[in-house]
Amino acid sequence: MFLELARVYAFIARFWREVFFPPYEFKEIIKQCYEVGVRSLPLISVTGFIIGIVFTNQSRPSLQDFGATSLLPALISVAIIRAIGPLVTAIIASGRVGSSIGAELGSMRVTEQIDAMEVSATNPYKFLVVSRVLATTLMIPALTMYTTLVSLLGGYLNVHQFEQTTIVTFFYQVFDAITFLDIIASSVKSVLFGFTIGMVGCYKGYYSSKGTEGVGKAANTSVVTAMFLLFVEELIVMQVINAIRGI
Amino acid sequence: MLEKVRNPNIDTSKKVIYIRGLRKAFDENVILKGVDLDLYKGENLVVLGRSGTGKSVLIKIISGLLSADTGEVNVLGQDVCCITRKELDALRLKIGFSFQNSALYDSMTVKENLEFPLVRHSKHMTEQERDKLIDTVLDAVGLRQSINQMPAELSGGQRKRIGIARTLILRPEIMLYDEPTAGLDPITCIEINNLINEVQERFNTSSIIITHDLTCARAVGDRVAMLLDGEFKREGTFDEVFDTNDKRVQAFYNYNFID
Amino acid sequence: MSTEDNKRSVIVGIFVFLAIVILVTGIFTLAGQQKRFINTITLQAVFDDVGGLKPGNNVWFSGVKIGTVKAIDLFGESQVLVTIGIEERAQQFIHENAIARISSESFIGNKNIVIEGGTQEASLVEDGDRIRAVNPIDTDELMETLQVNNRNLAAITTDLRQLTNNLLEGEGTVGALLTDEGLANDFQATLNNLQQASQNTIGATRELSRFTSKLNTPGGLANEVLTDTTAFSQVKRSLAQLEQATTSAATLTENLQEVSGRLNNENNAVNVLLSDEEFARNLQSTLQNLETSTQKFDENMEALQSNFLFRGFFRRRAKEEARQREAELERLEEQREEVQ
Repeated sequence: MFLELARVYAFIARFWREVFFPPYEFKEIIKQCYEVGVRSLPLISVTGFIIGIVFTNQSRPSLQDFGATSLLPALISVAIIRAIGPLVTAIIASGRVGSSIGAELGSMRVTEQIDAMEVSATNPYKFLVVSRVLATTLMIPALTMYTTLVSLLGGYLNVHQFEQTTIVTFFYQVFDAITFLDIIASSVKSVLFGFTIGMVGCYKGYYSSKGTEGVGKAANTSVVTAMFLLFVEELIVMQVINAIRGI
Repeated sequence: MLEKVRNPNIDTSKKVIYIRGLRKAFDENVILKGVDLDLYKGENLVVLGRSGTGKSVLIKIISGLLSADTGEVNVLGQDVCCITRKELDALRLKIGFSFQNSALYDSMTVKENLEFPLVRHSKHMTEQERDKLIDTVLDAVGLRQSINQMPAELSGGQRKRIGIARTLILRPEIMLYDEPTAGLDPITCIEINNLINEVQERFNTSSIIITHDLTCARAVGDRVAMLLDGEFKREGTFDEVFDTNDKRVQAFYNYNFID
Repeated sequence: MSTEDNKRSVIVGIFVFLAIVILVTGIFTLAGQQKRFINTITLQAVFDDVGGLKPGNNVWFSGVKIGTVKAIDLFGESQVLVTIGIEERAQQFIHENAIARISSESFIGNKNIVIEGGTQEASLVEDGDRIRAVNPIDTDELMETLQVNNRNLAAITTDLRQLTNNLLEGEGTVGALLTDEGLANDFQATLNNLQQASQNTIGATRELSRFTSKLNTPGGLANEVLTDTTAFSQVKRSLAQLEQATTSAATLTENLQEVSGRLNNENNAVNVLLSDEEFARNLQSTLQNLETSTQKFDENMEALQSNFLFRGFFRRRAKEEARQREAELERLEEQREEVQ
């Protein structure tokens, strides 16, 4: 248990040691960014849009009881920008990206591809781990921007359908309900989420046990662990932000 | 059965690998008890042994993938255990490692696989020079037509050749082959054996070939060493090694040629 | 470096660029909307009680948002010093004699500060000025007044009912009394009193309607009621009394109608009195007043019904009535069956 913790610590520490020093694997980073960011966009956009619609629709009745459906845009805004946008993006990405990183690195470990890089005097950590963690850390926030926008548009569609609110009013209320702190917090959170997804996937894959079973296990545990950590981080960030907001 | 014609270029005055008293254990399980090994320049040394006797561990220690518990491991004049990361990387460029499963990078084409070590270590090279070198090594392994294929599209034998080509591209002085013929049909085995000998002649490499395949051992080994109980029990030419009363060595020979 | 790689780099570039555009647009919209980068001047106001006002709440002037609350500090013995930031462009419209009032944005929304009043004669506010503050009306006090009104109303209507009942029961006596001129005068006086009483009722109901209309306006009062359970139970009690009062009033008017019916009967000795025009007018206006008063009650009840706070109460009552009706129906059914 403690050995595992020490190994996790060493693994993360190695990232910070290696990320700033050359050689930089630009080509691989771009490739991973493409995989993580661009290729996830359709899935995440559709999901975000649906969540925007569903969340808005499901929130309406409770506001209707107070005759306060005009507060709907503000409610959606706070919910999506503060929590749903970053979290949903991260969860979908951990399912799509985290598992594939775990599986890919796991199979590379099992078929000795990582050793092959090592003996060809290429730093496999830099080539595989740093590039992937960088890609998730940069792309998850970018995806979060898209998800948030698309979710808000989904919310707008639903509000427009039932309350005939114009898009200008809708977005006015959306921005009225949030503060700079919300945007900063969400951005920081999504960076953290991206880092977590990449790190967990790489760690599980990099230290995957031998055999095909090891690959499956690496893919599976990277998703489960990443999702668990995402929620823990969400909780911690929420507490920190509330503490800041309170001051 | 093909017999190895001893390579005339072997220089027994130069030891490229020199190992004394190598010991390696995983937890309680002692794999290598005290291995002494010399590899002379230009020589093909075959290490025989049953599965789990620590053959792979031995070459992984030589290439620095694993570290020895005790003992001296000297490769090309450098002690592998006690050099910096940078020195180790420089040393590794001189060692070619052919993995049991070829270990081709699945996400890259054959060309990208071959380029992979090149672009990182020969930065001064122009693209034309690189392409030319790739063609040369692909010619050497006889797979020029596969340049734009993905590893998944290749057969086991082809993968093995590309794996060897990838290590050759950096012009190594030492080649380490991990089970080069495992899982291949007899004809492909012979092709691979021939390739190993060709590489030895053409690129003037010194090689350690890990195998439990006696056909292969006889075909490529200038010298054969038998690993038993974590030590080299028998050493010499192929015939010398099996000219013994040791039951286990006899058994190893008999079971290999049972058919 | 194949063309595939270049294409990929370009796509990733566009992808990241668009994400940044979304973020930057968001930030600038937010900044523009929340007036982060506009010069402000600060004003101060001292309140006795800010009722949950927080830094960041909006400041309104003539229905336009002109700034936010910057800081809230305790001040003096138990007062609160509120510092507000106001856009520079709003400065030229606010005079020194303007007053600040605490208000609410909606039923369940945030508190805010409304600046109003101010006349041309006074000079314009300067940075750091302190303007007058008006403290919000205390809900408890309002409730108290309402309850006193209710009690009075109930007492009056009970008295009236008693009086008219007596009038009705003592038919012979009334007839006898009415022959007596002195007594007739007395009766007239009584009726005058009645008129007075019903006018009082109108006054009371007007008071009530003002209160309920206040309830209906989106303001702090309703909010207070919502969060204050004591206040809510008081309102409930008031409603019960109101109900009683309306029942009484209804009985009263019925009785009066009956009396007037009898009075209209030519055979009745009272008819004589009707020759007195003034008396007839009085009687009529009394009745009218009473009618208006009951109408007002109805309106009040309706107003209260439409107020969401009391919705539950009325829903319960409607259910009870329905239950009673059902019970009645069942009883009738049973009776019919017994007969058969």
